[in-house]
Amino acid sequence: MGQTRHGPGRIAATAALALAALIMAAPLLWTLLLSLKSNAELLRGTGTAFAPPYTLQNYADIFGHSAVFGWLLNSAIVSLGVTFGVLALSSLAGYGFARLRFPGRDVIFILVLFGLAIPEQSVIIARHQMFSALSLHNTYGGLIFPGLAAPFGVFLMTQYFRAMPKELEEAAWLDGASRFRTFWKILLPLSLPAQATLGIFTFLATWNDYWWPLISATNSDMYTLTVGVASSQMNFAQTNGLGFLMAQAVFASVPILIVYVIFQRYIVAGVSRAAA
Amino acid sequence: MKARARDAASGEALSGALFVAPYLLVFLVLLVYPLVSGIWLSLHKADLFGGSQYIGFENYVRLFKDDVFRKAVWNTCYFVLLTVPALTVIGLALALALNNGTRRSAVLRGLFFSSSVLSVTIVTLIWRMVLVPDGGLIADLLASLHLPSVPFLSDARLAMPAVALTTIWWCIGLPMMLFLAALQQVPKDLYEAAALDNAGWWRTLLRVTLPSIRRTALVVVVIEIILQFQLFGQAQIMTLGGPNNASLPIVLFIYQIGFQRWDIGYAAAASEILFCIILAAAMTQYLASRGRS
Amino acid sequence: MSGLALRNVSKRFGDTPVLDDVSLEIGADELLVVLGPSGCGKSTLLRAIAGLETIDEGQILIDGVRVDRLAPGKRGVAMVFQSYALYPHMSVRENMAFGLINIGTARAEIDRRIAQAAKMLEMEHLLGRRPSELSGGQRQRVAIGRAIVKEPKVFMFDEPLSNLDAALRSRTRQEIAGLHRRIRTAMIFVTHDQTEAMSLADRIVVMNQRRIEQIGTPLEIYASPATEFVATFVGSPAMNILPVAQATADGAFLRVALGDGTQLETSLPASAIKDGALRLGLRPEAVRLCAPGAGDTNATVEFVEFLGDKTHVHLALSRGDRVVALAAAPCTARPGDETGLVLDAAAGHLFGSDGRNLKAAPA
Repeated sequence: MGQTRHGPGRIAATAALALAALIMAAPLLWTLLLSLKSNAELLRGTGTAFAPPYTLQNYADIFGHSAVFGWLLNSAIVSLGVTFGVLALSSLAGYGFARLRFPGRDVIFILVLFGLAIPEQSVIIARHQMFSALSLHNTYGGLIFPGLAAPFGVFLMTQYFRAMPKELEEAAWLDGASRFRTFWKILLPLSLPAQATLGIFTFLATWNDYWWPLISATNSDMYTLTVGVASSQMNFAQTNGLGFLMAQAVFASVPILIVYVIFQRYIVAGVSRAAA
Repeated sequence: MKARARDAASGEALSGALFVAPYLLVFLVLLVYPLVSGIWLSLHKADLFGGSQYIGFENYVRLFKDDVFRKAVWNTCYFVLLTVPALTVIGLALALALNNGTRRSAVLRGLFFSSSVLSVTIVTLIWRMVLVPDGGLIADLLASLHLPSVPFLSDARLAMPAVALTTIWWCIGLPMMLFLAALQQVPKDLYEAAALDNAGWWRTLLRVTLPSIRRTALVVVVIEIILQFQLFGQAQIMTLGGPNNASLPIVLFIYQIGFQRWDIGYAAAASEILFCIILAAAMTQYLASRGRS
Repeated sequence: MSGLALRNVSKRFGDTPVLDDVSLEIGADELLVVLGPSGCGKSTLLRAIAGLETIDEGQILIDGVRVDRLAPGKRGVAMVFQSYALYPHMSVRENMAFGLINIGTARAEIDRRIAQAAKMLEMEHLLGRRPSELSGGQRQRVAIGRAIVKEPKVFMFDEPLSNLDAALRSRTRQEIAGLHRRIRTAMIFVTHDQTEAMSLADRIVVMNQRRIEQIGTPLEIYASPATEFVATFVGSPAMNILPVAQATADGAFLRVALGDGTQLETSLPASAIKDGALRLGLRPEAVRLCAPGAGDTNATVEFVEFLGDKTHVHLALSRGDRVVALAAAPCTARPGDETGLVLDAAAGHLFGSDGRNLKAAPA
């Protein structure tokens, strides 16, 4: 706000904010504390988590539990695959829709925009059948391909390329650059901010996707981290115990939190553009 | 002579096609084809083993008569009513409180958004350990006050509110950030003018701030309706839709029918109904944003 | 032949013509300015030569070779854009090198040309910078440098001064004139500013409504405008245009009568008379104030603009026609004064109903 409040209202607002922050932080801290307790102690009651002794044994156990690393690797391969695929397809198509005239362009673009309104649930059953027929389940391709179809990136890149000055391209043509070279050396480097925003959102969404990997990757070797953590949770009784499970949750959160901290600027930029 | 202009245009058309073709292929094969074939499937009695028989709208008729599906639709609407107003109001309140340049606000913004980047499986794992009556955080706190524990996830009346609470905790970051971005764009001189007019904090909020961000408020509400209608993971992992289908949402219904009972045509029909609901919400947003701008 | 030639070039966007049968020749070391109001087709003409627009009819030749079917980069032309269009993510040096790398110029040759151009434009110290780190004037220089290194056969400027402030604009104008003296290449300079056109051009092409109105040296354009449009577009303040009530051809020279009955003798032979309504064009310097009743007619002073070295007096004739007179700097006229006017019709122009100057050769 452009103004600050004074008196009792201000105190109440500060107290409410503090309470909200506590509610936000408490479950995270609780998870962290549980992950630092030995199973023997937790069996006596989870209340023991509020006091030492703490141990890193659960984390050490993760390093002996190779499935988690396999899931992590799967998540990384799938997320990076979708991200690079979306960036490449969206940039090419965005430039085509924004700058090149070809018959039916505007109609096709509107059709692609309609794709924005198609929720995954309405295509997932037919897609599952199709991938079964093509034997794509339990493969990286099977996990990556559906993510490439989302029209959002095309929409974003088309808008971005449309807003770029046409003279830059014309200057490049006069400089003897071919269409593709103009795209590659001039427009693509200039679209890096949009690529970063699109890339980070695509990466986050793929990393956290649950439904598709749940039904497509049924073989535990092909689980992504999301599905893997869910399966450990469902098989709670068979795991090494609560502390280990919570250590897994913390461990699984770390990569994405690092990505979040590094790319925070682009996330904020992307949200701002959506709000405007 | 005319042919010359046509040469150049067709060269451009060809490269245009080459730039657009890769995405268009993916779009047609992975989105349009499954959409159409999903609608086709919904008119069939089909199972996993390839047996398929055209039955017209019978699946849809069955859905309207299916108590479980009707319950799932009601549950989903109930869940949307629990989460969307709360996300909007809390998101706005946080944005108002944190819209300043102090270090403390920056840290808190990071905290409130951090849960949004976690996956649904981690969020549900965390919240299960907060909510379970046996050793959960809330149960432990109640026990220290000598109060009995509450079976949030196994009480039919509490299961959906508990899932909603988890969801609000998980999703609060996006509305907050959207409102923050909108607040940044309110012209500073409006506040200066309001201050010169002796407007107090509340008056400034009601007369300057809120009117300036009503477009964003609409966007937030519609985006959240679309997102929350797709509730799946939280219910599937935390309650399995129970007890007694009390927390069964539409998407989980589709999942159970389609991927556990393999009644594929029936699941496809349910997914088309969800599609229509979400499409209606998206259209509302489109029309509303048209009308305002 | 060397230089640039356009032969009967036409272009349409759908049903709207944007260039209508344009023919033009530019010598290999000539600086040609294309002058006209916005929307007259001058930018389209430039873009057609560059290859950024296709043409529907006609031919474009550079050094005698047809180029209108070649890609922009293959025509041997370079252009300085209105917005400069510098590549924001490249340094000044990379901006200049890009076009040379694209055509496979040897590294050493690229370095030599960049060094030479940077020296000529006094921008050696800018080579490592990005465009965002340059002032408007410096960007302008880089845009020119990027064009020079390509050693083009035709050098084009699309309103390159419009983004500069007044002082810089005048200086850059002089620099472009100096540049042209040094590199002696065919240059085409598009502008809507008559001062730029008059001060820079070897010849001016005046365009209006997609057609060429007149091609000539600045002096020819000013002294012998071919059409009423050219007459009023060039010159400041604009030429006064007065409707002629009656023209008579009974003496050696054509005589005209204005609406208020004023009789004037022109310098045109009586035989030049044409049917249809005529209009008399008089530059402000051909209109002088005198004592009331002592001149050709009388007028009322409406408004006096004192400009230091001279004064523009805006007047209303008795029938409501308005004229501007050029007066000496200290002028005693006040709004509302009655004054006499001397109208030097012999220095004026007569325009027919088709807008053409009766003095000019028949179209």
